[in-house]
Amino acid sequence: MRLLTHNYMQSTVKGTERGYPLKIEATKIEFEASPFDAEFIQALLPKIDYTTLLFALKQISENGNADLAQTIIPELPESIKEDGEGEVDEALLKKLHTVMFDIHVVEGELVCPDTGRRFNIKMGIPNMILHADEL
Amino acid sequence: MTNNTDMEHHSEISHNRYNVLIEFAHIHLEFQRPELESVLSLHDIAIGRDCIEVPLPSSIPTVENYRPFLILSFDYHYAKEKFNLDDDGYVIQSDMSRFSKIDRTKPTIASVLSRCTLIRSAIELWGAGPSFDSCVEHARQLSSGCAGRITLENCMKLSSSWKITIHTLGTKFNREEQNDMRMKFAFFNLPGKVQMVNPTNEFLLIREVELDPKGTPLSQERDNFLSPPLAVYYGRVLGGIRDWRGNGRLDQFSLKKRSYLGPTSMDAELSLIMTNLGLVRNGSFCFDPFVGTGSILLTCGLRGGYCVGTDIDIRVLRGRSDEENVLSNFKQFRLNRPDLIRSDNALYHRHYRMNKPIYDVIVTDPPYGIRAGARKSGTKEEKIRAIPEDRRHDHIAQTKVYPVSDVMGDLLDVSARTLVMGGRLVYIIPSMRDFDVEKDLPNHECLEIAHVCYQPLQTELGRRVVVMKKVKEYDPSLRESYLSSVWINGPESAEKCANIRERLLEAAKLKPGYEEKAAYRKKRRQITREEKKKQRAKHV
Repeated sequence: MRLLTHNYMQSTVKGTERGYPLKIEATKIEFEASPFDAEFIQALLPKIDYTTLLFALKQISENGNADLAQTIIPELPESIKEDGEGEVDEALLKKLHTVMFDIHVVEGELVCPDTGRRFNIKMGIPNMILHADEL
Repeated sequence: MTNNTDMEHHSEISHNRYNVLIEFAHIHLEFQRPELESVLSLHDIAIGRDCIEVPLPSSIPTVENYRPFLILSFDYHYAKEKFNLDDDGYVIQSDMSRFSKIDRTKPTIASVLSRCTLIRSAIELWGAGPSFDSCVEHARQLSSGCAGRITLENCMKLSSSWKITIHTLGTKFNREEQNDMRMKFAFFNLPGKVQMVNPTNEFLLIREVELDPKGTPLSQERDNFLSPPLAVYYGRVLGGIRDWRGNGRLDQFSLKKRSYLGPTSMDAELSLIMTNLGLVRNGSFCFDPFVGTGSILLTCGLRGGYCVGTDIDIRVLRGRSDEENVLSNFKQFRLNRPDLIRSDNALYHRHYRMNKPIYDVIVTDPPYGIRAGARKSGTKEEKIRAIPEDRRHDHIAQTKVYPVSDVMGDLLDVSARTLVMGGRLVYIIPSMRDFDVEKDLPNHECLEIAHVCYQPLQTELGRRVVVMKKVKEYDPSLRESYLSSVWINGPESAEKCANIRERLLEAAKLKPGYEEKAAYRKKRRQITREEKKKQRAKHV
């Protein structure tokens, strides 16, 4: 699961309205570099929730493989600054690309911030199916 | 045919314009033009606006059968600005990046058109007519047009070797006859020598004949008399290779080579076409809500898209083993892994936050119950039992039958909500012959149908690929209203694809030999079961 995908996932177990964003408790993360396209990342920015991205990044850095975290995961600023033409500095775009696309949570759990309901992640695939009594 | 009629046909293919003749493969007939239009639109080219389609010359007033040819005519200055008309290097390599990269900076026409799965070749048209002689005559006038003159001049400069290939669609001519045909075009006086292998330029002389619905030429000889051709074309091959569909091009993605397959894996050719219809390109955000074994998603990946797939069936997502799953297919083609999630498309709005539209393309083959029944969350049991805490987190939640009418309704609604404006939904819907495209397809106020293409599978059954475009912003407060107006003809339409399994079975039962076949299959299943039992007994 990439952090970009996590960005729009939520929990809506019966009774909760505040199932976003999901907490990430990663037990195994992997890094896989992918081709960088500045234009694509720039176009993607309005579609994501940056606060959630920072939140997710913090979670990953804290648990999961500490070594991996330190060597590869970049730091992101509190907010994204655009220049006069609404464009973001390329170095920052590269970091954003790495954070959104190249970090994969392979094993772990997603936790609903409200109900505490846990959704497991195995082989990188989160299992979000609700049980009959949660619908 | 009188000379006057000949001239009428000629005058429409003007040598003041840059003309290209496209030859299609004779399959997926209904997909050919939509695929071509879609691929052209990736380069911001629209037939009618940036180029025109010229009627094919014809020696018969009305041809009933399909003709796998199309002539596009460009204003010369437009063509010169838009394309690299000089460079015609070999574009048909097995390099996979060619499938994804859109070269916006003066691509060659071949590199634009070769993205179409269904195009066999394209030639720069130098002469065309309803007969051999009229084609030669038309070719003689090439340099009298401003575009033709420049084309010829350029060719003269670049041509160090050349050859003329004769394409007669099944009719046989002996060597002498073929050479006679070639000599008719000797007036061009091309410099350089004739070279059979890898010449700088290959010219194609096409003798078109009428084909039957299967693509076989209609009988050409009657009483030892050879029927005249339907049309004759002469031109320079673009892309450096006569047949773009040969050379194992499609073979790389063939199902046979993939490590993970399931009973409903989409054949490679159809996936390639669907992703063209969806306008998938580098950086497209692609989504398949019924991803299964990922065969369609794989093609999105091949075209450079960022892929997300969901499915309610955890077994198919995880695959058979570490070496045989959706991810291993992507790895096999050296693509970055897709994001897969086990979720329920009927509850998309509950699994995913939808405040902003994010997908560029949604392309999928929804489950119709023919080979893979659809499921959704929930249980068919009356009393809902709570799952004990200690088993909760890895419990595979029960699912219940998901009626096809809802599958489609939810698909359209999710698409309308999550596609960006102008984004496309491409899906497959099985249909029997009695399907009314106007009234039986599902609708959504925010989506407009761009194309519907039919692929016949058996006499009674075929499938349609439907392409829809998002044209209106989604209003969440209208969700119920959107969902209730999905089917114009009400539940009957949904029934038409929903009950296909039963109807197929009914139709099959009426066929001769059904009883025998059924008994045979039952016996084979029994044998397989016994084999498995023996295997298991061994391992104990």
